Amino acid sequence: MPDSVIEIARLSRAFGTKKALDDVSLSVPRGSVFGLVGENGAGKSTLIKHILGLWRAQAGTVSVFGADPVLQPAAVLRRIGYLSEQPDLADWMRVDELLRYTSAFYPNWDPAYAESLRAQFGLDPRARVATLSKGQRAKLGLLAAQAHRPDLLLLDEPSSGLDPIVRRDILEAIIRAVADDGRTVLFSSHLLDEVERVSDHLAMLHQGRLILCAPLDQIKARHSRVVLRFATPQARPPAMTGAVFLNGGDRHWTAICDSSRIAAPIAFGAMGASIVEESPASLDEIFLAHAG
Amino acid sequence: MPESLRLNPSTGTPLYLQLVERLKHAIATGAIKAGDQLPSVRKMAEELLINPNTVVRAYRDLEHEGILDLRHGSGVFVRDSVVSRSRLMNKAEPVVRSAIDRLESFDLSEEEIRRLFENDLAHRRTARQSRKRHA
Repeated sequence: MPDSVIEIARLSRAFGTKKALDDVSLSVPRGSVFGLVGENGAGKSTLIKHILGLWRAQAGTVSVFGADPVLQPAAVLRRIGYLSEQPDLADWMRVDELLRYTSAFYPNWDPAYAESLRAQFGLDPRARVATLSKGQRAKLGLLAAQAHRPDLLLLDEPSSGLDPIVRRDILEAIIRAVADDGRTVLFSSHLLDEVERVSDHLAMLHQGRLILCAPLDQIKARHSRVVLRFATPQARPPAMTGAVFLNGGDRHWTAICDSSRIAAPIAFGAMGASIVEESPASLDEIFLAHAG
Repeated sequence: MPESLRLNPSTGTPLYLQLVERLKHAIATGAIKAGDQLPSVRKMAEELLINPNTVVRAYRDLEHEGILDLRHGSGVFVRDSVVSRSRLMNKAEPVVRSAIDRLESFDLSEEEIRRLFENDLAHRRTARQSRKRHA
């Protein structure tokens, strides 16, 4: 049993007839950066709300630091730093007031660290929260989420709609969290580029189901982009398990192959195609191949 | 240095491999010299915005290839022997030049020649990988 921070087993959740989460099981290893990807509505935020204990599991179990976040919210939340896409910050407070207010909830709040982050982010302590730009708000949310040096940093679409400079601050915060003292980060994003940059584990949700969940290295090593030449022109290449044709026409087609499900040279040889080129697939392509 | 090391996730090539290639290139061209100290894992990860484990993996690969020296506690250094690699590269240059001269005499375009080289290297790479996998 690996040392894990989050254990989710057979979690399901429906809203009316819509299955938001469908039999999801995963575990998040301590010290990892766990990237959660999927389209809007795939179930990413719903999963995160279960980890925070905001929603009770309809079926299955959720365990965070070995505790049930619904039954023991204080014990769990104290060790979590959470940033949502639209941080819920008291608009009428000033930046310094908000930080003092937030610090009261966390016995481990580190005022010196909070101050160094504030200076680094260029936030004016006397500015009203209501007057901050979207980017400054995100930075303030990020500061408030990590000044108590949480064991688990939970970021729900943290960089959505932000400019590259603020996105960089967020990615740096993720890297620092794991590099400093082996803290754990779980973050959701639909920007696969940034997920590939900073994650070492990856979970892909599609329509509430977990379609891929493994160390990123393994996912990358398993998938390849294969350009094929068929002996005869194909209107559509034949369907086959483990290979998804992304584009092409006539004799030339590009497929994304999952080597755990298909031995590409043999399978393509059998249907009269030869491999022209084989190269690593990007996460975007891998996602399209699995979610298509 | 980080500018020239900029990595691109969307090409599909694993980031640790991109970092290995970029560092080798920087050493071959003399941008990084023998005896130079490279940034710590944490610093490199923050500069390049990549997972620290990715940097560790690239540094370890380069250590196995005899290019880097990871001295516990004191940092990451480019080995002196690497200089002989760049001397080798200098020796190899005329070989490449005469090969390309011959290919051009077949009336192949620059793009075609590049493709021939890349295809051959890619084949060797996959052959090596599948050998490794079956080993």
